[in-house]
Amino acid sequence: MLQIKNLHAGVEDKAILKGIDLTVNAGEVHAIMGPNGSGKSTLASILAGKSGYDVTKGTVRFQGKDLLDLGPEERAGEGLFLAFQYPVEIPGVSSTYFLRAAINAVRRYRGEPEMDASTFMKLVREKMEQLDLDPSLLNRSVNEGFSGGEKKRNEIFQLAVLQPKLAVLDETDSGLDIDALKVVAHGVNALRSPERAIVVVTHYQRLLNFIVPDFVHVLVDGRIVRSGGKELALELEERGYGEIENVAGAGV
Amino acid sequence: MIGAPEKAHSLVAAHAALEPSLAAMGPATLRELRRNALAEFVRLGFPGPKHEEWKYTHVRALEETEFAPAYGAKVDRNNLKGTVGGLALFTLAFVNGERAPELDQPQALPDGVFVGSLADAFDRIPRILERFLARQAGIADGKLGSHLDMPFVRLNEAYMAEGAVVSVPSGVQVEAPIHLLFVSKAGAMPFAAHPRVLIVVEEGASATVIESYLGHGGTYFTNCVTEVAVGQGATLEHVRLQQETLEAFHLGATQVHQAGGSTYTSNAVSFGGRLARHDLGVRIEGERTETLLNGAYVGMGDQLVDNHTRIDHAKPNCNSFEVYKGILGGRATGVFNGKIFVYQDAQKTDAKQTNQALLLSREASVNTKPQLEIFADDVKCTHGATVGQIREDALFYLRSRGLGKAEAEAMLVFAFAAEVLEKISVRAYADLLEQTLFAKLEKER
Repeated sequence: MLQIKNLHAGVEDKAILKGIDLTVNAGEVHAIMGPNGSGKSTLASILAGKSGYDVTKGTVRFQGKDLLDLGPEERAGEGLFLAFQYPVEIPGVSSTYFLRAAINAVRRYRGEPEMDASTFMKLVREKMEQLDLDPSLLNRSVNEGFSGGEKKRNEIFQLAVLQPKLAVLDETDSGLDIDALKVVAHGVNALRSPERAIVVVTHYQRLLNFIVPDFVHVLVDGRIVRSGGKELALELEERGYGEIENVAGAGV
Repeated sequence: MIGAPEKAHSLVAAHAALEPSLAAMGPATLRELRRNALAEFVRLGFPGPKHEEWKYTHVRALEETEFAPAYGAKVDRNNLKGTVGGLALFTLAFVNGERAPELDQPQALPDGVFVGSLADAFDRIPRILERFLARQAGIADGKLGSHLDMPFVRLNEAYMAEGAVVSVPSGVQVEAPIHLLFVSKAGAMPFAAHPRVLIVVEEGASATVIESYLGHGGTYFTNCVTEVAVGQGATLEHVRLQQETLEAFHLGATQVHQAGGSTYTSNAVSFGGRLARHDLGVRIEGERTETLLNGAYVGMGDQLVDNHTRIDHAKPNCNSFEVYKGILGGRATGVFNGKIFVYQDAQKTDAKQTNQALLLSREASVNTKPQLEIFADDVKCTHGATVGQIREDALFYLRSRGLGKAEAEAMLVFAFAAEVLEKISVRAYADLLEQTLFAKLEKER
């Protein structure tokens, strides 16, 4: 589904990603872990098409297409979804209006008919309940005045409503208490399916207790220094990034 | 100087012919007021670009236009469908500054509440008029700052005869919004109208009053003045819409006096006009007041939209919160000047002012000037001005959810101003303004 090959990228003259190779197949859940400044969020942003990054080398293919060639809205249309680390407040745009516009934009891209109002409302109500979100949030502007936890749950709620093929979760666990974490994880787990892939970007192993990954990759200084199964996350928790980095460094 | 004396401008010359009919309205003192006001306007003249308060708003085109007095125009009710004039609200209507009872929508009001024309108010509530009319607008006494002369307020006063009065006595809560509708429709000859509005909400009372200036065709000049008195502990939401034609001149001044413990909210929206200006002044004359000034304006094509606001914090322990947001496209010009004076006695004043403008084209511009003058030492005053384009982070967020760039941009431009419109508590009115905004932006795309 997603093939990243030798990806180099940075901001202005500063190199951040220094040769990422990663393949994600349908049905898989990958965790990308790494310390602050390792390039995790940069990778997530580049996948979603945020401007301001220069890709200097390498390729990213998504469903057989050159992902880097597509605008952010085309990527969404192809089935990519980024849950933002810092969801953006948009005063004046109602959550309902936004969500409906998003669903229909993606459907139009795929040549599907627009969703009628009652199907939409039913879908929205069901997913809000699943993510323990207060329905009154729908009457508010997008993310405006939401608590930190509400913002993060709102991202997963959008994910659930938009049903993408590939979901990238950028530090969705940061700032969540344990109960909110469980709700978020439950929402994500409900979306696991053989047709869908999920990439969880996180600093801590904590979230991975609830969203159990098939693969774990350790990102340090713009490179994946180790890959393994879910047990790698536990090892990281015990030994810390420093040691993994040393081991990996010694191996090169 | 040798030669023929300069011919008086039509706005001045018309006065002589109208004086007998003006004289029939109101007490003798008013006649004197009109005469003095006219003399003062003649003395001050049309403000030029050297006048600090008119630096960016040039009235030359106004000066060069000949205006006839307005009378006898009719507008059919059906023509107001789809506009704010078609909403089912309690409505007192005027066409070209004259009362137009055929467009009224009367409803029952609580006992003691008066909503009617200035002429009726002279008969029925003379003491209210004596206390409040022409007591506030353009009066410089005791005010800080310079350039306090307001020539067009004087001109309005010179013609003061028609207008609307809302009077809510002590302790009365008026639930239903009161709509004052001023429709303008010009024929071949441009006309000038000088409507006057007086809103008095006495101690402990509350009301929502909407003033709408709605253009219905042609070139004309609306020179309106509104005086507002908010009594002790009273609450007023004051909505003002300026949606004149794109050929029209609109100069409006609103002067508010707030007594202690009162709350005044202004939601002022400006969509129309070739040259449109609103001067909003709030003088705080008692402690523990709340003042909220929300403004939204849109200028496209060759429009000039000017908002001058002024808050006089003359007493301690008062809060004011001001947000003005503008969208400018085409070759439009925006002007924002926000003065806040904190007087020496006004300790513990908390004043916050924000003005933001969104420029949609390279030729659009805005001149923005926050002006805080603080003479007390224990106050919290902030101001912020931003001029710019659409927020990149918000645009990316919307696009990452599948919305096309153009659609996402349109959504954000709309939202920028809609945020202010949403503060209007009269839902049907706010919804209609949102539709108007949407259509105006759509036309520009």
